[in-house]
Amino acid sequence: MELAVISIEDYAKYPFLKGASTQIKELDLTIQNLVEDRFVLERAQKRVECAILDLTIGQMDVDRRKEISSFAASLILVIGTKKPWIKKRYALAVAKTAYSHLLSPQTTKAKIQSIAKDFDWDISEGKEAYKDFKIGFSFYLKNAAHMHGNEWKLVNQIIDKGLVYLNKDKVARLLQEEIKNRVEKRLDVPELKNLPEDINIIAFKLNALAQDIMGQETEEMPKTVVQAAFPPCINALYAEAAAAHHLSHIGRFTLTSFLLNIGMSPEAVNEMYKTFSDYNERLTRYQIEHIAGERGSATQYKPPQCSVLQTHGVCKNRDELCRRIYHPLGYYLRKQRMQNSG
Amino acid sequence: MGLDSREYVYQRFSEFYKDPANAVPAPPLPHKREFGYLTFKEKFMVRHRRFEQIANFRTVLADTVPSDVYHSCAYYENPDFDMDKKGWIGSDVVFDIDADHIPTSCNKIHDEFRCVKCGFEGRGLTPEECPCCGGTKFETKIWACDLCIASARDEVAKLLDMLEKDFGFSQDEVRVFFSGHRGYHVHIESEVVRSLDAMARKEIVDYVTGLGVAVLEKEDREQGARRKKKLSKKFNLHNYGWNRRLKVGMQTFLENASPEDLKEVGLRNKALLESKDTIIKRAITEGKWESIQGVSVQTWLKLAEHIREVQAAKIDTVVTTDIHRLIRMNGTLHGKTGLKKVEFKPKELQTFDPFTGAVAFKKGKVKVLVSDAPEFRMSGETLGPYKNQTLELPVAAAVLLICKRRAEVVP
Ligand SMILES: [Zn+2]
Ligand SMILES: [Zn+2]
Repeated sequence: MELAVISIEDYAKYPFLKGASTQIKELDLTIQNLVEDRFVLERAQKRVECAILDLTIGQMDVDRRKEISSFAASLILVIGTKKPWIKKRYALAVAKTAYSHLLSPQTTKAKIQSIAKDFDWDISEGKEAYKDFKIGFSFYLKNAAHMHGNEWKLVNQIIDKGLVYLNKDKVARLLQEEIKNRVEKRLDVPELKNLPEDINIIAFKLNALAQDIMGQETEEMPKTVVQAAFPPCINALYAEAAAAHHLSHIGRFTLTSFLLNIGMSPEAVNEMYKTFSDYNERLTRYQIEHIAGERGSATQYKPPQCSVLQTHGVCKNRDELCRRIYHPLGYYLRKQRMQNSG
Repeated sequence: MGLDSREYVYQRFSEFYKDPANAVPAPPLPHKREFGYLTFKEKFMVRHRRFEQIANFRTVLADTVPSDVYHSCAYYENPDFDMDKKGWIGSDVVFDIDADHIPTSCNKIHDEFRCVKCGFEGRGLTPEECPCCGGTKFETKIWACDLCIASARDEVAKLLDMLEKDFGFSQDEVRVFFSGHRGYHVHIESEVVRSLDAMARKEIVDYVTGLGVAVLEKEDREQGARRKKKLSKKFNLHNYGWNRRLKVGMQTFLENASPEDLKEVGLRNKALLESKDTIIKRAITEGKWESIQGVSVQTWLKLAEHIREVQAAKIDTVVTTDIHRLIRMNGTLHGKTGLKKVEFKPKELQTFDPFTGAVAFKKGKVKVLVSDAPEFRMSGETLGPYKNQTLELPVAAAVLLICKRRAEVVP
């Protein structure tokens, strides 16, 4: 298959491609003159607003060069907000928009291949297995491993000699993941110094807008520990620990991090372990503090998600609710809500 | 282990690491890896060491004489920094297959356990709880017999087949090692896998162990049924990956199965055996599963479930998903056996004999008092069983028994 040439039209649709930034360089755009172009800045602001409101990027500007520039400007605006939530949200909106372009019947296989090559994929036409494409398994895993559902598992793919055979829709979905990661990476800069005041003002507005949406979305962890809402895997671990059975490292980690994340204090977790025999005070305290993020690195650890617990045989007694969630903490929240609503 | 015995083994390890003939081979990019070792006498774990040249590490081995030697599977910007400051660049994909975590046909009858609390002793698999006092802590003495090794080897064979046919690795890209105890390590050092994160590695693990094959998953089938508003009668398999493995596995199984074999996997279906040839031809080869009279989807599922069990390679799932793992270094001694971790070619899997190929001490004899040892082989010689007897043994055999706490040197 011949690779397709990426046109200016394409760069407007996929402004995160490596070539797009050279298009902008040709236009000699610095932060200063990006914001001096009122139309570009307005379109950039619109992009981010749409992303915050409904995970889209709004209407494309008919001037393709302006559209490409507005993407570059939007990144600066998003960085200016300094909000991880907005960064994630914007990256996802850009990726989802690209996904819908990729899915369009007008997008040729050759074009998709060219875009995948921009991410250094090992991709070619998949004639042998009657699929649109075949891609190297490592490129498949890089993106599909983070997707939920058995249809994405490697065990359920047509795989042969290191190549995974896929249709256009699945490749487009994997590319969405790849695009999201690239945009997130470009947004992952600590801070831009001396941003023009115009940008700071817009960033302030965007933050206010995000605050409204975020408020609706974040789910509060209940204040007290509700043992009746524990997922079955945690109940099983708890029972094993209480019976003084030896827990595997991952089992112990899962139980401890779960309890800490639902609001149990490190002291309380330690007390709990203490009531079980087979208790090593120094080691247990150390592990709990490490998981709680009080020692060494400051990250607070979350329990592994369900699929990881399955791999290591920690997932037990799956029930009806387990099918609809991907994470033990998600189970806890959901169950809690179900119990409260009667 | 008595003091004299410990000193004896230490001296042998020391001679081994000082002999230039035993120079440990360098892993790829040694300067980007973390090295570590367990000190022989204090049993202290030294970690986070970095070596620009492998020669420098060989000197450390000769000077400190560790009981066990490791390096990271991971590559780091700064291998000698603290864990969260090392700067992870990538990691080899590593598989650990050990008789410890697979059922073996010897039933581990050579292993012994003793309850720390009440002293209850027994042979075979260590129980979860002491049958006498309910305690959960045991002292164990484990052994590696030919059946243990053979069981591990069967799992490696399945793994290698997947790595080659499904993942497309060539024989040169897959490195196979005897671990020095009772298992094998398989390393993949290719560029294509290096940057894979823990989740991607988890998917490789699930592939190798056959976890989540949709056609066999109850939840997937029920979901599909809900969508189509009736329970799917279809049991279709395509010709790639796990689908192919199930298909070929079912065919081979049916071709050779006796009524007893079927019963053993819980299949009482007469039609399966009576019209065996038709089934193999119509169902498996032509893919017309639903057209076989008297064989229900449930029967197919049961059979396929058994085949998944048989085809899965039983690896240690934690090792492969851990992107910071330390792994025993090629060419070094195992502190529990005195055998070496050694590499051999994938195609030599069936013929490589660890009790010859991994032997580190090839010369000399020593007088030992053996308390208890089953029959075993060492360098082509069959030795034992022994019970409370004093005798002269080849050094490799004596070191093995001493490390296993089954013998002491006689001064
Ligand atoms: Zn006991
Ligand atoms: Zn055995």
